[in-house]
Amino acid sequence: MQLDHGTHGAHPTAAVYIRIAVILTIITLGEFGVFYLTGLSSAVMTGIILALSSVKFAVVAGYYMHLKFDNWRFAALFVVPFFIMLLILIVLLALFSSLTR
Amino acid sequence: MGTGEPKRMQYIAQGPEADHRTSTGLNNRKLLMWAFLGSDAMFFGPLITTHLINRTATQTGPTEDIFNIPLTTISTFVLLISSLAMVLALAGIQRGQMGQFRFWTAATALLGMVFIGFQMTEFAQFAAEGLTPRSSLFGSSFLILTGLHGAHVTVGIIWLWSIFFTSYTGKIKQANSLDVEIAGLYWHFVDIVWIVIFGVVYLIGAFGVEDRLLEHAGAAVRLVG
Amino acid sequence: MAANIGILRRPIAPTGVWGWMTTVDHKKIGVLYGVTAIVFFVLAGVEALVMRAQLAQADSDLVGAEAFNALFTMHGTTMVFMVIMPMGAAFFNFMIPLMIGARDVAFPRLNALSYWLFLFGAILMNVSFFNSSAPDAGWFAYAPLTSTEYSGSSGVDYWILGLQVLGIGTLSAGFNFVVTIVNLRAPGMTLMRMPVFVWMTLIISFLIIFAFPVITVAITMLLFDRFFGTTIYDVSAGADPLLWQHLFWVFGHPEVYILILPAMGIVSDILPTFSRKPLFGYMTIVMAGTVIAFMGFGVWAHHMFTVGLGTWAISAFSIATMGIAVPTGVKVFNWLATLYGGSITFKTPLLFALGFISMFMLGGLSGVMHAVVPVDTQQQDTYFVVAHFHYVLFGGSVFGLTAGLYYWFPKITGRMMSERLGKLHFWLMLIGFNMTFFPMHILGVLGMPRRIYTYSGDQGWEGINTFVSIGSLVVASAIAVMLLNMFRSARVGQPAGNNPWGAPTLEWAIPSPPPHYNFAVVPTVRSLYPLWDEEANVVEPPELPHFDETAIHMPSPSYWPMLMAAGITLAAGGLLVWQWHTIFGLIVSSSSGLLVLYSIYRWAFEPVIAAEALEDVHH
Repeated sequence: MQLDHGTHGAHPTAAVYIRIAVILTIITLGEFGVFYLTGLSSAVMTGIILALSSVKFAVVAGYYMHLKFDNWRFAALFVVPFFIMLLILIVLLALFSSLTR
Repeated sequence: MGTGEPKRMQYIAQGPEADHRTSTGLNNRKLLMWAFLGSDAMFFGPLITTHLINRTATQTGPTEDIFNIPLTTISTFVLLISSLAMVLALAGIQRGQMGQFRFWTAATALLGMVFIGFQMTEFAQFAAEGLTPRSSLFGSSFLILTGLHGAHVTVGIIWLWSIFFTSYTGKIKQANSLDVEIAGLYWHFVDIVWIVIFGVVYLIGAFGVEDRLLEHAGAAVRLVG
Repeated sequence: MAANIGILRRPIAPTGVWGWMTTVDHKKIGVLYGVTAIVFFVLAGVEALVMRAQLAQADSDLVGAEAFNALFTMHGTTMVFMVIMPMGAAFFNFMIPLMIGARDVAFPRLNALSYWLFLFGAILMNVSFFNSSAPDAGWFAYAPLTSTEYSGSSGVDYWILGLQVLGIGTLSAGFNFVVTIVNLRAPGMTLMRMPVFVWMTLIISFLIIFAFPVITVAITMLLFDRFFGTTIYDVSAGADPLLWQHLFWVFGHPEVYILILPAMGIVSDILPTFSRKPLFGYMTIVMAGTVIAFMGFGVWAHHMFTVGLGTWAISAFSIATMGIAVPTGVKVFNWLATLYGGSITFKTPLLFALGFISMFMLGGLSGVMHAVVPVDTQQQDTYFVVAHFHYVLFGGSVFGLTAGLYYWFPKITGRMMSERLGKLHFWLMLIGFNMTFFPMHILGVLGMPRRIYTYSGDQGWEGINTFVSIGSLVVASAIAVMLLNMFRSARVGQPAGNNPWGAPTLEWAIPSPPPHYNFAVVPTVRSLYPLWDEEANVVEPPELPHFDETAIHMPSPSYWPMLMAAGITLAAGGLLVWQWHTIFGLIVSSSSGLLVLYSIYRWAFEPVIAAEALEDVHH
């Protein structure tokens, strides 16, 4: 039988986890900093924050929640509704912005 | 799809954590928790969407100008560190180091309680400045969203303390590390939802409003110090 | 831990009512769902008959306007949430473990919780009738109509709270069946060897867990508005009146696929049996079901074509809606191709399956008409819509579920239903159903609006309405025949044996009714039609001379699911009490909440199989 070699040797060590926490802290500080850059257009700022938040999301999901090393089905259960919701959110925002205020 | 010997189940999970009683090799309860988290994403999604719609439609009262970004950044940091504590707790019990496990479980729960404390302080401040669940569209949707997130955090805190205290009765051992892992998944999810809320509702929402950095920084320093 | 004595003692082999109240056996839970669903079917049917009595004549005052509003609200809400979904659940519960070769579902106590939440939530909502405040704002409860300003009585509160309780039960069941179908299949049963009914159940379980949270959010926000004064739906605070509609239909459209796909699954399994031919295009039918489910999340605004969404929006949703008809049509062609060339036996299950295909097709045709926006603009809020959804939900779901009832009744009870009564039931139902609902297309085109309690005689609608009301009496008689058939057959029907229909799937390999452990030996599956293929996969007693039934340990009964469901329902009900008497309501809600927390804790540490059960191994 074929084996699912999902890097299932040892779990990441505490050092790895702490490194991840440091990365998350740096990104958060980065987001905080970007917020105060008054020269940016709001579209660019939005893009940067979304990108940084996505990285944090992926890192927590991938490493802390172990999705990077686990069976693909777990990730599928989580990611599929996320994309459904994203599409619905975009459609609803578009619909509500086109109504006159 | 014809007849014949059972097809090779090529995608069955293997390795030390595989559960050989199930069709996929995955543990039932872990699968359940992931299904639940996917479902919960569809719960927070409409709440965030409603808020994004309401923030421009609101008619009275303060909106994002009331936010204290430095303070919220600190509370976000607290929640992120609590996720670190959670994985360390899980690592502890997976290695049979019960002392480590208990310490980091308590740390996670305590950090969660600190986060809730920050939230409540924030809400009290907002109420004093005229933003309540009833005051406006913005107030309603923002406070319902963050309130329900806070309720999720609280459930997690209760869960973690239950695990902590029950571990002293001997009912939670190294063999039960999956139970802790599942609690951890829930906890990290709650953290992830906050990552989204912090980015979208707080930062993007408040970008460009009147700069109250110095005033906020001062308030934050006074609170923490 | 706590004293395990007397009534607090964990039941091991309880009998009678206590046995039913503490059961975690999927077969018993299935029967509970089925019987309860039928009771609510009759209740909702009576609500319909009263409406039809009122509408039979112009300018009638048999039933006043407010009462009529409550009738159509409760008829719709009951049929959707307390009849069709639970009837589907009855079959998921009883059949899915049998069809996949399992001994039970993945989480038996969670399964029991789902049932008790259904029963208690349904009771909570219907108790409102005794308070003269049944919900009366439509089954879809549009805000701002349902805000306190326009719906001051507590009817909408009952709707919200009842639905929250029902929703938790449904979600729990959705999670349970996802894990069960993914993880508990017998060796050799790959996903592509599952019966179509199992596939459809898996698909709608995903729909449930992804769509129900959306309505949970919508009604939670409405609850906060009504109980705590928030302003989410408050137009005077700037809220858009369309917010509720969007949220509701984002849920509501997947919901209608939740209602129809199981019936399609049943029909897909019945047709091969009675044509003695494999299903044509198994893979295509499975994929069509998956595509329908996905696309179902993208068509919701076709319920809102007339609210002013803008040209781009309605065009996009119109095209998507037409698109979703394609995989549906594909299924119909596959069913027809299954029948073609087959050796057909016209037993009652097949009659209802054929009725399903034809009636559902008519409903699909009126649905495609609705997809065309200019046409829908005339049809919206008229009886044309009522005709459409009754063709798909009654002609579709109910016919399909009835087919399942006749098909699986022998397996569940061990007795055959009467073919004579079954055929009478079918023809009365087919004729009565079409008498009742076909003319509604005409009424709709003539302009008769929905949800009106009476109409003037000079509209020219009276004759048709009278005809429709007579048709509803024919439908009622058909249901009476069905109930008679069920009662009689359960007591004196012909013994069924393992496989009275000569069907190919695993549930027919074991006795009728099945023993509590289902399979003596977990079968190894080698094909999609295990009982038709020459290598018999399933070995049952008496070919197993050394079979020791007591060696199989099934999950033990438990009372925590029922207690927890009671706690959740009382906590919800406490909010209703809170409105009437603040302190008392707080006491009810908070003590019930504590009961829920305590139940969770005790449940979590209760072993699946009680220690005492494991002691009696060799008796």
